[in-house]
Amino acid sequence: MEQATGVRSYSYRQDMAIFRTRRQWIWFGVLLAFLFAAPLYWGNYWLGVANLTGITIIAALGLNILTGYCGQLSIGHAGFIAVGAYTSAIMTNRFEMPFLLGLVSAGFISGLIGMVFGIPSLRVKGFYLAISTIAAQFIIIWVINHWTSLTGGFTGMSVPPASIGSINFIGQSSQFYLIIVFVIIAVFLSNNLSRTRPGRAFIAIRDNDLAAQVMGINPFKYKLIAFFIGCFLAGIAGSLLAHWTGFLNAENFTIMDSILYIGIIIIGGLGTTIGPILGSIFIRLLQQAITIISPLLESTYPTLPAGFTAGIGPMIFGLVIILFLILEPRGLAHRWSMVKTSFQMWPF
Amino acid sequence: MIRKPLKIFLAVSMILAIALIPVIGNGCSGGDNGSTEGEGTGDLKVGFSICYTGVAAEKGRPMGNAKLDCIKYVNEEMGGVDGHQVEVMWRDNEYDAAKAVTIINEIIDRGCLMFTTNSSKMMGASMEIANRADFPGFTVFSAPALTHPPQHIYGQMPDYGDDWAAFARYYLDNIWDGNGKPKMAMFLLNNPTGYGARDAARALAEDMGIDIIATEEHAATTISEMESLTRVKAMNPDVLYISSTPQPTSIIVQNAVALGMYPGVTVGCGHASLTSVLVELAGSDAEGIYGVYPTVNWGDDVPAMDKMTEYCQELHPEDYGNMDYITSWAEGLIVAEILRLAVENVGIDNLTPQAVEEYGFKALDGFSAGGLHGPVTYTPGDNRLSKSVRVFQVEDGDIVPISGWIEAPLIKYEDFDWFS
Repeated sequence: MEQATGVRSYSYRQDMAIFRTRRQWIWFGVLLAFLFAAPLYWGNYWLGVANLTGITIIAALGLNILTGYCGQLSIGHAGFIAVGAYTSAIMTNRFEMPFLLGLVSAGFISGLIGMVFGIPSLRVKGFYLAISTIAAQFIIIWVINHWTSLTGGFTGMSVPPASIGSINFIGQSSQFYLIIVFVIIAVFLSNNLSRTRPGRAFIAIRDNDLAAQVMGINPFKYKLIAFFIGCFLAGIAGSLLAHWTGFLNAENFTIMDSILYIGIIIIGGLGTTIGPILGSIFIRLLQQAITIISPLLESTYPTLPAGFTAGIGPMIFGLVIILFLILEPRGLAHRWSMVKTSFQMWPF
Repeated sequence: MIRKPLKIFLAVSMILAIALIPVIGNGCSGGDNGSTEGEGTGDLKVGFSICYTGVAAEKGRPMGNAKLDCIKYVNEEMGGVDGHQVEVMWRDNEYDAAKAVTIINEIIDRGCLMFTTNSSKMMGASMEIANRADFPGFTVFSAPALTHPPQHIYGQMPDYGDDWAAFARYYLDNIWDGNGKPKMAMFLLNNPTGYGARDAARALAEDMGIDIIATEEHAATTISEMESLTRVKAMNPDVLYISSTPQPTSIIVQNAVALGMYPGVTVGCGHASLTSVLVELAGSDAEGIYGVYPTVNWGDDVPAMDKMTEYCQELHPEDYGNMDYITSWAEGLIVAEILRLAVENVGIDNLTPQAVEEYGFKALDGFSAGGLHGPVTYTPGDNRLSKSVRVFQVEDGDIVPISGWIEAPLIKYEDFDWFS
């Protein structure tokens, strides 16, 4: 029950509900209505941005489970996304399998490969684990580039549009509906995961793996589960990305993308579900803003040194991360929480 | 009392906001590089997806500058295309495939008639969406996968496979004087630059009568190719073909000299290798090597050279001498020619992307592009716009043309099972 002083729950079931008040249900309904009506008022361009943001959210949620909840730093996330993208592309293009089978396979293959690269997490952590995940990034891309008969190598490979039954997801609006459904599922899974036994085990391992072990948690088992789930979501994101772009090349999955994903979850807020969502939206919109502003800056300030705008994107990205680390280390999620709290007593 | 971090945040936000006020104002009124974005109804709107930043900015920036300078020239000095101003919407794709996808969506959404990219990678990211929308565009640097099978995407210049085919033809006709098949060893950069040449050799070598005895790969960061060259030397090759970038090419050439292979064998290279940087790096070791390139040199006596040089020196002097500037100045001229043909054939009021493709792209017939590169012609079934390269040789430290335009044959990659 919602009261002026907060929300009071009368049962454990009420206490654990994702939406605990009628007002939350209403806002959720409004959000869903807004999203599902979006193709009516967004053009292809903004739908394209929304699609990319949705895919980024799914991948960032995966990295957040691995890094934010379980504390396992991964700098190879783009590699795992690539595994998913190529798995789905190969299944649907080479073997003419249905899209949904390709999508699920993409998740599982990425998850399994993630587990393989997660094995060193038994012995190493922190920066050392980060180095081993960087190795994953390079090994995966090398294999993709050189397994030419399957992946097309450096030439790349085309990917058919996603289709379920007789529905073909060709345009941006139909792809938007497809992607938004998977975003909702991924958010729901991620949010619930944190409240399950594995979720609590992840957090315990992140906070102190020795203490977790003393409490009876098997760190190796749960670290591998975290790698599987994190990379499973990366694979799903990769599959959607492949069918969205329609053409794959290993150059599309660089280590800079992996670093971008880390930046997204830092800016959004580690260890929360809303964090990767806010971080993804913020970064993708920032990128679009820079894309639009760069040409205008060039023409407005012709006296700028040649190539000045060339550095604006990376500079702003770096500056934003620094500002967040200094001013809001808990990310946009914390800021969002403060805004919600301040409105709780509104208008007082 | 405002907290200190909040003060810093507010200060940074204020500075950014003040800096952006004129930008936003300019964005509303339009106007960049001769374009008039958002202004007028009869303008011919085109989209440029440029890798102005990111890892390919070294090439993307001069190319971006060149095409925008060229459109400025077309608008201001030529009075536009048939009296209509060309309106440019350009976006920096940062050499990022995901960004390229959103940009092509925006270009289509904003009512552009056609689009271009600099690189094969960015076109690869954009082409599926463009093809599905029947939206025409071309890329300066091309790869076989973009134009095979031919759809709505075109290649401005011959690809790395065409380089190999043209050099092989020239070699057989003008250099090779032995008996039987010449033995060729290929040194390939481990990316599309190298693999394009490999695929062409795979498709054509046997029919042309060339024996490929070795295919050696190297990375862009290679510091020695002594090992691979020693292996190749034992096979007694007649010709080394290098499809790479200048630095690795210079290392291969210097190592070949050190091993006593060169002079002796013929050394040829593709257009990504053959720049003045190669000559600077390899020094006298580069004397006599052959290479192909699809454009003329700076200072050559061709119709477009004076105006291009004038604009480059006035607007972007840092790009003077850069061959990439030439390729994209030519790109700007081709865009204008495509639009001119389309306007002439269907009229300004009936222009659609499909009409531009049908009556612009497909009407190109021997357009000279100011003499900057080979003639631009559409041939049904062949989406390469310019198909010609020239053979050059390094003489006394200069890269000197030794042939006229050589047309690279169309390779039907899609007929081969191994082509993805």
